[in-house]
Amino acid sequence: MSKEKPFPEYKRKLGPGWWLANSHFTQYMIREWTSFFVAVFSLIYIYELSLFASGARADALNLLKNPGVIAFNVLALLFTMYHALTWFYLIGKVQPIKMGKTTSKPWQALLVNIVLLLIVSFAVIEVLVLR
Amino acid sequence: MPKVARLHAILWGVFSVGGFIAAFLLPVLIYIFGIAYPLGLWPISGQDPTTSILNHHHLGTMFLFVTVAGSLYHGIYRFQSTLTELGLARAKRALEVIGYLIIIIGILAVAYYLLMLNPSVLSLP
Repeated sequence: MSKEKPFPEYKRKLGPGWWLANSHFTQYMIREWTSFFVAVFSLIYIYELSLFASGARADALNLLKNPGVIAFNVLALLFTMYHALTWFYLIGKVQPIKMGKTTSKPWQALLVNIVLLLIVSFAVIEVLVLR
Repeated sequence: MPKVARLHAILWGVFSVGGFIAAFLLPVLIYIFGIAYPLGLWPISGQDPTTSILNHHHLGTMFLFVTVAGSLYHGIYRFQSTLTELGLARAKRALEVIGYLIIIIGILAVAYYLLMLNPSVLSLP
């Protein structure tokens, strides 16, 4: 596997602040950081499920009412929405749909997916929470 | 296709599905569970959302499993690669190992706790 290369490999050195060099990189890095909130929220939810499963339902619910946890959840929702909206836009950019002579634009994919997101969210609330 | 590339493609495919789940299903879970319930906002009226969702046995259990497991996979996978981009490239392998460990243990834990809370899901046809 590790054959010696006939030419020296150029290894570009990037400092930890390379993503501040231009606004595209910064937007990219903000998008990458949304994953932190997605991951931490998932871990918090798994911990909550463990409390529910072990019968400590009151502790699980008290933790949810902690102002720090609420603040984190508000941030997590904002970052997750940023992830969702940029993801929808990217879908339109990566996979444009051809219809006759016209090709779909990224903003159209964004719009269609926002509508889908609203439908899915309302369906979840209607079926799993309100019923 | 070399074995490593095939495995990488499969893992990336799962990651991509996780991104889809995190985009479509996670926002509503964060809202009802982490914001609406503690602040008493619509659509919560009394019962906590986890109990409400689990009351819908199979559908609710599957919704929670898919949303939490998919989001965990996507979030950890992308976060560990973000750390390598922020100057921890030398620790790439170690970060991958830690990341996959968290993902595997986390997904097993979600499955285990949901089975404890709703054992009847195993009797699905």
